[in-house]
Amino acid sequence: MATVKRPPADTPTVASLSLRKDGGDGALPFRRVLIANRGEIAVRILRACRDLGLETVAIYSDADAHAAHVGLADQAVRIGPAAPTKSYLDIGAVLDAAARTGAEAIHPGYGFLAERSEFARAVNDAGLVFVGPSPAAIEALGDKLHARRLARDAGVPIVPGTLEPAAIDRPDDLPPLLAEAASIGFPILVKATAGGGGRGMRRVVRATDLPAVLVEGSREAASAFGDGRVYLEREILPARHIEVQLLGDSSGRVIALGERDCSIQRRHQKLVEEAPAPGLSDGERRELHRLAVAMGTAAGLTNAATAEFLRAPDGRYHFLEVNTRLQVEHGVTELVTGVDIVREQLLLAGGRPLSEAALAAAERATPAGHAIEVRLSAEDPGRDFTPTPGLIRLWAMPSGPGIRVDTAARAGERVPPEYDNLLAKVMVHAPDRAAAIELLGAALAEVEVAGIQTTLPFHRFVAGHAGFRAGELSTSWVAEHWDGPSAAAGPRRLAQVVAALLAASEGATDSGAPEPPRRGTSEATGWPPGPGEGTSWAEAALEAMVDRWPTS
Amino acid sequence: MADELNGRDGPGAGRAALRITFAPGSQAEADEAPIRAGIAAGGRVSIDGEPSEAALTDRTSSTARLETSDGSHRVLLHELPDPRRAALGVRRVEVVIDGWRIELDVESEARARLRERATSVRAEAGRGGPSELRAIIPGRVVSVDVAEGDAVEPGGRLLVLEAMKMQNELKAPRAGTVVRVAVGPGETVELGDVLVVIE
Repeated sequence: MATVKRPPADTPTVASLSLRKDGGDGALPFRRVLIANRGEIAVRILRACRDLGLETVAIYSDADAHAAHVGLADQAVRIGPAAPTKSYLDIGAVLDAAARTGAEAIHPGYGFLAERSEFARAVNDAGLVFVGPSPAAIEALGDKLHARRLARDAGVPIVPGTLEPAAIDRPDDLPPLLAEAASIGFPILVKATAGGGGRGMRRVVRATDLPAVLVEGSREAASAFGDGRVYLEREILPARHIEVQLLGDSSGRVIALGERDCSIQRRHQKLVEEAPAPGLSDGERRELHRLAVAMGTAAGLTNAATAEFLRAPDGRYHFLEVNTRLQVEHGVTELVTGVDIVREQLLLAGGRPLSEAALAAAERATPAGHAIEVRLSAEDPGRDFTPTPGLIRLWAMPSGPGIRVDTAARAGERVPPEYDNLLAKVMVHAPDRAAAIELLGAALAEVEVAGIQTTLPFHRFVAGHAGFRAGELSTSWVAEHWDGPSAAAGPRRLAQVVAALLAASEGATDSGAPEPPRRGTSEATGWPPGPGEGTSWAEAALEAMVDRWPTS
Repeated sequence: MADELNGRDGPGAGRAALRITFAPGSQAEADEAPIRAGIAAGGRVSIDGEPSEAALTDRTSSTARLETSDGSHRVLLHELPDPRRAALGVRRVEVVIDGWRIELDVESEARARLRERATSVRAEAGRGGPSELRAIIPGRVVSVDVAEGDAVEPGGRLLVLEAMKMQNELKAPRAGTVVRVAVGPGETVELGDVLVVIE
């Protein structure tokens, strides 16, 4: 790796001024940050850098040449074609972009390279600052089995299951494995050691299916993660998914910046998140935070990470995993604590201690107010959340007091099929949960997207659902309450009526001849004039048909 | 000929009777029937023979409001121009209502009937005819499970298409023999590309 070019130390910048407000001692050890990501999170990080007076470098693939994050950065570097493995996942290309632009720190965002310890290590080896936990912590917590053993040793209760990789290569080892599975209890999840975030897991209901699923799961894990090790965990159902935002500084101090409830998921991917988790007493909340801090401390965590737990119906917590990165849903924590987590990350990466604001929020444990986020994604909630890449034709997001929208999407842009399909995070913040849900409903009523199907109808359904309002949350909420095809049926019928009315308004009538040509119509409606000048398009359709179709 | 063109559809379906169908690939369910809309004076319509009170108000170039007896809905409207469809007299519109995006094909009822007759004649001649399976989302082919000459059962996996980090299995819609596999693993496909042909 080539040596890193330092930018000239010229006149004092806004950075040094605004940094003093944080009570720090002088400038950060970096002034130019490369954001190794795209989409809304790249924009979010760019803004935090800008607020700190740091210069920004964006990277982009060919699919993103005109994307919002490229335009907002001080500099932008093309790093490859659309395929993620040849662009945003290409460590060499990212480091090369940093070297060429003189970037001194790299923020990985979430996804892509964020939890690759080899990336964090390569960044450090190149003499740059990695904005995130240490490579060692990423590695220790990225191995989900290792994380389970760490938790056990730290006295943090884990989801019942195995602590060593399942022996699947030796058929003679099966009886003890089956006995162990029986003692864990079915249904069981077969999980990839290198997986996490809901990826690389399979559900087994009957013991007789276990050997085959182990083999398949292992093969899948080997192909997806390059690591075929799998382990067993009991499926806890019903459960709530509650996670704790952790921050740590280089002195070894780890704090919990509150928790989030992310129970509403599909295929183990989160759809709705809120802070604080509803229905917890202050004592329960502090106990959960204590477990998360114990986990983070055991792993030697610095910067930002999130400890995920399942809350069983009996109120007990079971440690799931730690994500060693900025979380998609960090915004709801920011809203209720007033702490800018990305700014905090940048300051911590620069060697600062935890900020006063963060320490105070951790001390409070139970925040004032309530925040909810919904993930507006390019997915069809009427067809089992199938991806719907395409051209965004119209794009209107809500605004106003208590509403925050993090997005990089714009009308006229294409949602590429190569990447994650998150379009926007619509967040609301209100004095209490009931008011937040009201505000969420009002905010979602303002959302308008055309050109692609989004998850909007699902989110409106959630906001209006009595069970959700009552705080009845579970990881099986979507399966229990959402029937996409039925929800879509009424609007689909209405759409047919709209199309009929639209045609009617264009002059086709039942009285014989079409109405006289109305040149104004096309401008007024956006419909181009029909193929035959002066005839309604329904009439033109008939003519076209006569020309083309045999009638005998 | 004249009768064919005028259609014979009962009340409300006169010369300008329309058929409104969910566009293929836009999640149309098999049991979702097209509607027949008769167009009356004053911009009112009849739906499948029943006069409808629904009306479009507040029209702009791309938005409107649908007033029905049950309430009022904001609607986003857009025409999806396509020369091939236009030449056949079919207009496709995108309607977004209550957050749902729906593509519809609008054509004259009489023309639709003629096309159906032509299709049924062709289908008889071809004894079932081939089924072309097309990509409903752009993506990358991960694996192909069938080869030309393979017999397939309804629901049998044909190939796996990866789009937006998700793997989507494409299954056989009916029994038959694979006569053509148009793509291979690793290939990128666009919306509407032919993937597999079954006969």
